[in-house]
Amino acid sequence: MRTLRRFFIHWQNWFGLTLVLFFIVVAFAAPQISPNDPINPGPFQQVKGFRASDLSPKNPEQAPPLGTLPGRISVFHALIWGSRDALLFGLEVALSAAIFGIFYGAVAGYAGGWLNGLLMRISDAFLTFPVIAGVVLLRQLWQLSFEAAGGAIYNGIIAFEPTGEISPLLRLLEWINPLTLTLILFSWMPYARLTNSMVATIKQAEFIQAGRALGASPMHIILRHIIPNSISPSVVLAARDVGSMVILQATFTFVGLAGGSVWGQMLVMGRNWIIGPGGNILHFWWTFLPATLALVFFGIGWNLLGDGINDLLDPHGH
Amino acid sequence: MPPFIQFVIRRLLIIPFSLLIITMLLYAGVMLTPPEGRATLYLSKGNGRFSKNIIPVIIREHHLDAPYFVQYGYWLESLAQGDWGYSPSLADDVLPAMLQRTPATAELAFFSLILFIPLGLLSGVFSGWHQRGRFDNAFRLIAFAATSLPAFILALVLISIFYISLGWFAPERLSTALSYQLPAQNFQFYTGFYTLDGLLNRRFDVTLDALRHLIMPVVTLSLYHWATLGRITRAMMISEHGKDYILAARARGVKESKVMWKHAFRNVLAPSITSLTLSAASLLTGVFLVEMIYNYNGISIVIAGAMKGGIPDAPAAMGFAIYSVLIVLLMMFLLDLAQAAIDPRVRSEVLDI
Repeated sequence: MRTLRRFFIHWQNWFGLTLVLFFIVVAFAAPQISPNDPINPGPFQQVKGFRASDLSPKNPEQAPPLGTLPGRISVFHALIWGSRDALLFGLEVALSAAIFGIFYGAVAGYAGGWLNGLLMRISDAFLTFPVIAGVVLLRQLWQLSFEAAGGAIYNGIIAFEPTGEISPLLRLLEWINPLTLTLILFSWMPYARLTNSMVATIKQAEFIQAGRALGASPMHIILRHIIPNSISPSVVLAARDVGSMVILQATFTFVGLAGGSVWGQMLVMGRNWIIGPGGNILHFWWTFLPATLALVFFGIGWNLLGDGINDLLDPHGH
Repeated sequence: MPPFIQFVIRRLLIIPFSLLIITMLLYAGVMLTPPEGRATLYLSKGNGRFSKNIIPVIIREHHLDAPYFVQYGYWLESLAQGDWGYSPSLADDVLPAMLQRTPATAELAFFSLILFIPLGLLSGVFSGWHQRGRFDNAFRLIAFAATSLPAFILALVLISIFYISLGWFAPERLSTALSYQLPAQNFQFYTGFYTLDGLLNRRFDVTLDALRHLIMPVVTLSLYHWATLGRITRAMMISEHGKDYILAARARGVKESKVMWKHAFRNVLAPSITSLTLSAASLLTGVFLVEMIYNYNGISIVIAGAMKGGIPDAPAAMGFAIYSVLIVLLMMFLLDLAQAAIDPRVRSEVLDI
């Protein structure tokens, strides 16, 4: 009870929690809020009632509720369905990275000695690798494997040989998203470090010694005793990572290194009406502001929630 | 040998060791692709990727069906000889292309480093020393906004206001007319920094033009890192503020500003630099992203073509990855040196290992 009061005493924690809950509700209720077009499903829905050749963005009065992007794409629909994609992506990356990092750090710390040194050196090596290089490299290696396995990619569109059967390897490669994999691969190190430094102290505790004396297997000790006792800083980090991974995905979408972020793609579509010749950020605000606010508040919400969880778990923080 | 030199040597030896681990991991990733895929890393200018019969020759020549360590050895050897592959999307060899554009990236990074490091330290020190003061409140608010705003959105806003509407600043690296005229006008490239070369050539219009193009990328890059560095410095300044030696110095009647700068700040400086060292890779990612957003002709051009055009270009991606790891290792080394020069505790710590 006292810990809950510590959480709700700061308005920032309230705010963060509300924002995150809001995005979760929107993500779940997306089909109710903005029904999908059965013929052309997906986050980018074309608004009817305009000429197909008309590429200019329509303002909210012409196409309620939030106007359209160039090419008659509904802003509102993409905004709502984008939160579903963002939430899934953020949770997927942050949870995978956290689980792997925590496990890696715990195993290395439990093993101790030179093995710990080597494993942590490898994790440090990952720290010297800029994410952007990872994104590009993994994408290229993925493409090489994909094409060697019999698939084809042209301008980001995946295609298969029309006749031949699809091998399991190709199915696997198609299922892997290179960007997701890259972001997991380059964000697990902080979890490993945090867990590792805590395990070093926990390992000496009496309950661990007792467990070992009773003949518990190392795996049992790591999973049942070490990880539950060293997980709290990682939970805080994971909450913050959900937001930052989504923003990173949008950034890579925006510069054209990867696809996948709906909100990022919205900004790509509206870009020429903001910074192209004759563009104006005030005049065409609906091509820019909704996606921006969604991204910013998504980031803020998870960040503040992380701080709030920190208040919950760490009574000495303040 | 003086301890500082010892420290430098030890620290230098870490670089090849880290590089070895990273390249091993990298090549392990490459090994996941089939030999026919790996072979495209070695395609050169003459043989396009559609000449199927060249692939078996390359596999044989470069031992691409040998075990991992053998392949890795041959690959490392070709890297060391400067053979970093040919990029079809760039229509150029990868290493020369990157070397040629390094000054551009360095110029951008240099200006933002000299902007955000002093400002970050300064605002962190002030707001941490007067916690909950007026400056602190303002700083925390602005820093929160700065870290919440994604860099590419900030860039959009800046371009829209200062380039499209006002026309004060511009993206890219130099005005188009100027960049075409320069080679003909006997303009000497001493450093590769347009700002400096303009001064050295007594061509102040070039310097001004380069600055006009630098301002937006530098601001975009600096804002986030300024806020992060400032926050970290602030937190450490607060914890330093309550320590006994500060109290003792005050009791002795040392001036407040002297307590702040000579005592507290000196203890905060080294850990602040540690935070920069740890985020060196993300700093470099930021530089490349900003380059791409502003069409700045830096190292990131090497990968921009490969990704946007949809042409498979593994050599460019591979070369880019190794080159950027090298840059990060160099940055970390320099930051460690700076830290050791400032703080004797760091020197002895490393020597103890």
